[in-house]
Amino acid sequence: MRAARALAGGFPDISEMTVARQAHWRRWLAAAAILVVLAAIGRAFVNGQIEWTYVSRFLTAKVILEGITNTMAMAVLAMALGIVLGVVAAIMRLSPNPVLKSVAAGYTWLFRGTPLILQLLLWFNLALVFPTIGIPGLWSARAVDVMTPFLSALLGLGINQGAYTSEVMRAGMLSVDVGQYEAAQAIGMGRLRALRRIILPQAMRVVIPPLGNEFIGMVKATSLASVIQYPEVLHNAENIYYANSRVIELLIVAGSWYLLVVSILTPLQMLLERRFARGTLQITR
Amino acid sequence: MTRLSFTVGFAALLAITTAKAAEPPESIKQAGTLRLTVNSTYAPMEYRDPTTNQLVGLDIDLANEIAKRLGVKIIWSETPFAELIPSLQTKRADFIISGISDRSARRETADFIDYLATGPQFFVLTENEAKSAIDLCGKKVGTTRSTSFPIEIEKWSKQNCEANGKRAVQYAPGENSIDVRNQLKQGRIDAAVQGSETLPYAQGQEAGKYRIVSEPFSTGYQAIMFRKDDAALREVVTEHLAAMITDGSYKAILDKYGLGANAVAHPMMNAAPQ
Repeated sequence: MRAARALAGGFPDISEMTVARQAHWRRWLAAAAILVVLAAIGRAFVNGQIEWTYVSRFLTAKVILEGITNTMAMAVLAMALGIVLGVVAAIMRLSPNPVLKSVAAGYTWLFRGTPLILQLLLWFNLALVFPTIGIPGLWSARAVDVMTPFLSALLGLGINQGAYTSEVMRAGMLSVDVGQYEAAQAIGMGRLRALRRIILPQAMRVVIPPLGNEFIGMVKATSLASVIQYPEVLHNAENIYYANSRVIELLIVAGSWYLLVVSILTPLQMLLERRFARGTLQITR
Repeated sequence: MTRLSFTVGFAALLAITTAKAAEPPESIKQAGTLRLTVNSTYAPMEYRDPTTNQLVGLDIDLANEIAKRLGVKIIWSETPFAELIPSLQTKRADFIISGISDRSARRETADFIDYLATGPQFFVLTENEAKSAIDLCGKKVGTTRSTSFPIEIEKWSKQNCEANGKRAVQYAPGENSIDVRNQLKQGRIDAAVQGSETLPYAQGQEAGKYRIVSEPFSTGYQAIMFRKDDAALREVVTEHLAAMITDGSYKAILDKYGLGANAVAHPMMNAAPQ
């Protein structure tokens, strides 16, 4: 290496020096250690008492495919119900009307305050309280014919989701600058129209990431509906291992499907985020 | 008299030799504990006493008596019914005594020492019209989906309904006995199936609510389940069980739960007809 010329003031001129690569030996060591551990875990699973033929045989079995279809159908429908309820509850919560406000707060309190599985069991066993349900004089039916496992799961998951989504929506609406409300008011828009035209479109950009998060949670939360006999993928996997005792194998099958679905959903969320950020993307870039 | 004294003497000798022979395997003796796993949703076989939250039941009493004779203490753990067999395989439990039926399909993974006669039995709400099991053809019948009962219902339906030109029983899954009875009470299902050994208790809990329909539709045994490679423990426990049957302590436990009629004459291995 050349000796550095001295500059004025005794400082060496380092502008022409080459930068030596640091030997990041600790990084190498850490990476190697982690890879060894991962390999050991992988090897343990390969050699463990897992009959992989059962995994491959049941991965695409009809009843498992039906299960994952039911899982996705329930996740989409319950999330849709949750978003509708969440938007309504958030609007009510931010309304100046004290009744609307406290009803919305009560809804969030009740359904966020009790475990999801408890709510599912309540909906499923509703007929113990109300043997028949209906609209007086118009229509009535046996509660069990209405509260099928499907509807019990949809109501349980959707209403619970609505309580959480209302908070996400409220956060989104609060994130829109108050000047936007005022401007909308100034040009004569009513509250609801201002919400629909001005506030909610802007709030969407903020709520998509947390909603995507919630939806991924919902995909997995549908597995709780297995206890009320909704035939989603975990329920069907359980039924198989109740018969053939290949517990781990079937849990791997179900787990793989959840992972696959979530892996597909993540890039979809990115696309959605990009769409709702159309107005702001150029600015933030 | 000589004959009697000889018999008594022989019995005493037998008792001594069995007592001496029936030592638990070294690992259990050293630990001083048996690790047992139950699914406590199956009264009166094993359940949590509603007031004390203690594990109680016929199986619990039998296991405690066996442990007493082995000179060890039991460490209980609980698990869903479907995880009982994995618990045995993973050695979480030394053996399983938890209202489990001796089924040939399960004998691939375990050996069964049969100790209680049982069988799946139909029951309905008292006001139901069904007079006998055959009236349940074409009806919705629920049972716990993790048990062997769904298969047995299907088999029964094939032989008794479909073979006679009647509509097949529609099976409806439930999560456990309590869930199945809730479905029955709500009218979600028309009839339910439980092991005959649990029905007197269920009827006692909700007097006048349920009516049993016909005899158990297949006969089988509840059994203690051992790992196939654990013959030592299996033999010791079988010996103690045989001694308990002989000295009446077994009968006393069964009578306590009103199940004296379900007694077996002696423990049997993998003996349930399929």
